[in-house]
Amino acid sequence: MSQPAFQMCPCGSGLRTVRCCGMTPGAMPPPESSRHLVPLVERAVIAHRQGAIETAERLCLDVLELAPDRPGALTVLYQIRKDQGNHTAAEALLRRVVALDPNSFVATNEFALLLLAKGAIQEAEVQARNAIRIAPQNPQAHNLMGMILTEAQRPRAGEYHYRQVIELSGARDPILLANLAWNLKNQGRMEEGRALYTESVAAAPNIRQTLLGWARLEEADRKFDAAAEILDRMEQQWPNDPGLLLSRAVLLGRMKRTDEALALLDRMAGQSADGGLGPNELAEKGRMLDQVGRYDDAFAAFAEGKRLARELSGHQYMDAAAENLISRLDNFFTAGRLATLPRATVRTDVAQPIFVLGFPRSGTTLIEQTLSAHPRIVAGDELPLIADLTGLMPRMLNSPLGYPEALAELWMGDQREGLDNLRDYYLQKVAQMGILAPGAAWFTDKMPLNETHLGLIALLFPQAPLIHAIRHPLDIMVSAMSNHFTHGMFCASALESAALHYTRVMDLVQKYRSEMTLRYLAIRYEDMVTEQESTVRSVLNFIGEPFDAKCLRFHENQRYARTASYAQVTERLYDRSRFRYRHYLKHLQPVIPILRPYIERLGYTVD
Amino acid sequence: MDPSPVIRSGAIMVPVPIDELLAVAAHYERTGKMQEADRLLSHILAVAPNQPDTLHLSGVVAFRLGRQQEGLEKMEKAIAYGVDIALYLRNICEVYRTLNRLDDAVAAGRRALALAPSDPMCLHNLAVIHYERVEIEDSIAAADRALTMKPDMAGAHFARAEALLIKGDWEQGWEEYEWRFQIADAARMMPPTGKPQWDGKPFDGLLLLVADQGFGDIIQFSRYIPWVLERCPNAAIAGSREMIPVLRQFLPEDRIFVRWEDCPAFDAFIALSGLPRLHGTRVDRVPAPVPYLHADPERVAAWRERLRPLAPGSYKRIGIVWAGRPTHNNDRRRSATLADFAPLAALPGVALVSLQKGPPADQAGAYFGRAPLINIGAEVRDYNDTMALLESLDAVVTVDTSVGHLAAAMGKPTWILLATSPDWRWLLGRSDTPWYPTVRLFRQTRPRVWADVFQAVAAALAAPGEPDADSAMPKRQRSAASAG
Repeated sequence: MSQPAFQMCPCGSGLRTVRCCGMTPGAMPPPESSRHLVPLVERAVIAHRQGAIETAERLCLDVLELAPDRPGALTVLYQIRKDQGNHTAAEALLRRVVALDPNSFVATNEFALLLLAKGAIQEAEVQARNAIRIAPQNPQAHNLMGMILTEAQRPRAGEYHYRQVIELSGARDPILLANLAWNLKNQGRMEEGRALYTESVAAAPNIRQTLLGWARLEEADRKFDAAAEILDRMEQQWPNDPGLLLSRAVLLGRMKRTDEALALLDRMAGQSADGGLGPNELAEKGRMLDQVGRYDDAFAAFAEGKRLARELSGHQYMDAAAENLISRLDNFFTAGRLATLPRATVRTDVAQPIFVLGFPRSGTTLIEQTLSAHPRIVAGDELPLIADLTGLMPRMLNSPLGYPEALAELWMGDQREGLDNLRDYYLQKVAQMGILAPGAAWFTDKMPLNETHLGLIALLFPQAPLIHAIRHPLDIMVSAMSNHFTHGMFCASALESAALHYTRVMDLVQKYRSEMTLRYLAIRYEDMVTEQESTVRSVLNFIGEPFDAKCLRFHENQRYARTASYAQVTERLYDRSRFRYRHYLKHLQPVIPILRPYIERLGYTVD
Repeated sequence: MDPSPVIRSGAIMVPVPIDELLAVAAHYERTGKMQEADRLLSHILAVAPNQPDTLHLSGVVAFRLGRQQEGLEKMEKAIAYGVDIALYLRNICEVYRTLNRLDDAVAAGRRALALAPSDPMCLHNLAVIHYERVEIEDSIAAADRALTMKPDMAGAHFARAEALLIKGDWEQGWEEYEWRFQIADAARMMPPTGKPQWDGKPFDGLLLLVADQGFGDIIQFSRYIPWVLERCPNAAIAGSREMIPVLRQFLPEDRIFVRWEDCPAFDAFIALSGLPRLHGTRVDRVPAPVPYLHADPERVAAWRERLRPLAPGSYKRIGIVWAGRPTHNNDRRRSATLADFAPLAALPGVALVSLQKGPPADQAGAYFGRAPLINIGAEVRDYNDTMALLESLDAVVTVDTSVGHLAAAMGKPTWILLATSPDWRWLLGRSDTPWYPTVRLFRQTRPRVWADVFQAVAAALAAPGEPDADSAMPKRQRSAASAG
């Protein structure tokens, strides 16, 4: 109603809004009424194939103006917009193609790849699952699923699909082998990954991505010489490749040859066509400048990295969505309502979760590495399952409402066991991921910001230990600036939004804790550094496990953490990361007023 | 012809004398219409900003509306502009006391008395301030002087009672304590009755016990019920519903009444708080048959099961309460905050179990100490639950609240943290109490400063073997012995 009929669609497709994203469902003419347009679509396809892009585009727009649901015209127009780099329009058009023709493998595959490239992994997974339903024997369908599950940090399930590709294709494609090797590296199975990289490179010696991945595996496995050797080999072929130079810089940084690493990054900046580095390069550069004490330069690199990341990805903090979700959670989880809701029962036949909560960069990886050095605790890493459950819950509880209001279904006689089903979904997924080792009584789930869902977690796992990593909020901000992560609705795309999201979530945690009886323990990152043994003892006592000295030597823990913290946790605990904010006080001024209440409440100071 | 000017009602200035407006404002203040009084007074002050009576009344109103600083400033200004008016000083004296400015309070109280030497209210105020300053003899002297002027002044009798009781003169203290029901703004204990108060002698008629005052008092004085039943087997008790779990440990439930209209016709009555007097209790003769309250074993089992997964491992489970009922007239002196418990939270191997109820319970959300805090208060429905939960704990550390009495009556190791001028029942200077053998008292050394108290509690809790149910003897004595 509100769209004037002549207005062009903001997605940039070139169609009018009413023929594009503002189309009223059901207002479409029946398909047979536009059959006379089929020859035009055919001409558009041919024109496009022959490179007559303008003709093809004109034809598509004409057809779609009359019959906006012609998949052929939509597909050609999608190709054109994609090639023009108009991602918004391309996505809108392809989404429509898939909706019109849900059984098209090609379109579904294309759409899943587009979503994966954009980082919309959850949505990509939905499409990949469809692709397998459409073509269960198609190796590409399984390849897609393998890539997505690996990216979604469920490498064990991803491995299954990669192995399906090998079986269905009857061949050992070198790129597939490299993908599988990367998957195995993410599972910490370095030897097997190395063997596959060796095989892949023997068959196809000059695949850039393969060599970069292999070098990353060696670096993560602390085989610095082997990594350097691979990079040397790449250098002969691609002497100025930015990926190579960055990997080299990272490697030099881990080998403590910081000056050389910085020189390399400067060289990259000098040679890059647009005169600058990418977001990852800038973050790496900032971290190295930090190491050598050039703090102003470091922060400038961080800030530029954030700006560039925003520009390239289009991601910024989903302020309104975050505010909406958090206020709904705040309203829903009240002591009065909680007293009337059931709790899931506690399974005694399987390993139980330990939730390691906290804002990204607050020490969750360190706590997980420490705990998983214990013989009875295995690391689950960042499990996406609680977030998955919040999406699945309305369907699983058969509710017309969203999360968290869908929990109201638990008041219905036929949904009293609803929480048990949700709990079992979580535990079953964990089992499928291959996290659980024999003899493990516990596994960790360290998905940052899971504390947003503390109420749901406590309903599902009323006896699970909730370990909340606490760190000086300003140190978290420095760390959020020097790393890129998407958790918390992209709050870390800017300093101010990271601070805002931090306080929103902490307010919510405070609410949960005053309304519910929780098995909750706050652990300070700083205590882990300065009073390691007593802190570790207290966490283990809280979990109910005997102290084990191996937990103090977690850096010997061979398990490789996939997240950005991995480089730190494989080193001995060091004091440099404590109160690092002091070097950046003037840069942090804009967020100090936002964070001050929590700085004080947590017992920290600004000095 | 000029048009007639339009007259608006608000534009008409009718000169009303300030005195009359002030009288209206004072009437509002007396009848509790603080907002109306506040608005009217601000109009008067706009015209006459330095008029002392207006400033004074406006200060009183601001103070009662919670704007303490503004109230104090106005009252001080009234004193500066008004010349030697005893009422101003008498009132500001109470404000200073509320704000913990005890030196200013006593100075203002003395000046008020100098200006109005025959006003017993001034002396009564002084008696209260001296009690708060733990100047007990001065408090008694002031109350005595007030009573020579006005022998039936209930407030002064009560102030005298509290002073006598806290210094251990219980024989005189109990007698004066009887005046508590005559205090003007005291809540009425029961509907008017023509029946006599029981005198403590053997009695055949039906005696109605009244479980009066706060829950702590009821728990403390319920110990006398068996003594009453020996003299008077035909007894019933009236009390609030919440206290049934306590009272039914002494009387069958069909003898407990929670509504006046349900009470049986009785021949005499007695308040529980009147029993120590009838019993002739003295500091060295306190009946303390501890434990005299017991938790229901089934509930204990259920609560142990509830607590087990929340604090497994080898924790000392310490129940804590940081604040009392906010409406208690002594609450600002007796209550602490959860943040004050920080020294306990820093102890290894301690789990804090919050038994806190009411609005202060929200502080649990902002706790980030090292010891786990189990915020179980929200799941506690009644005193049966509280007792069962207490039974499942190793010890209780609490400010002066009913939970302290409950744990103590159950014989749990109970550490009670007291203001410099505590309730009379805790006496002065001692770390034990004749009322409860397993209680250990920790006293403030400076008014409303908790830091050193909690440091002392933490140090005591960290000592090996603490808390120890068998001995509440001051550890000072032990260490002195071992040092020698």
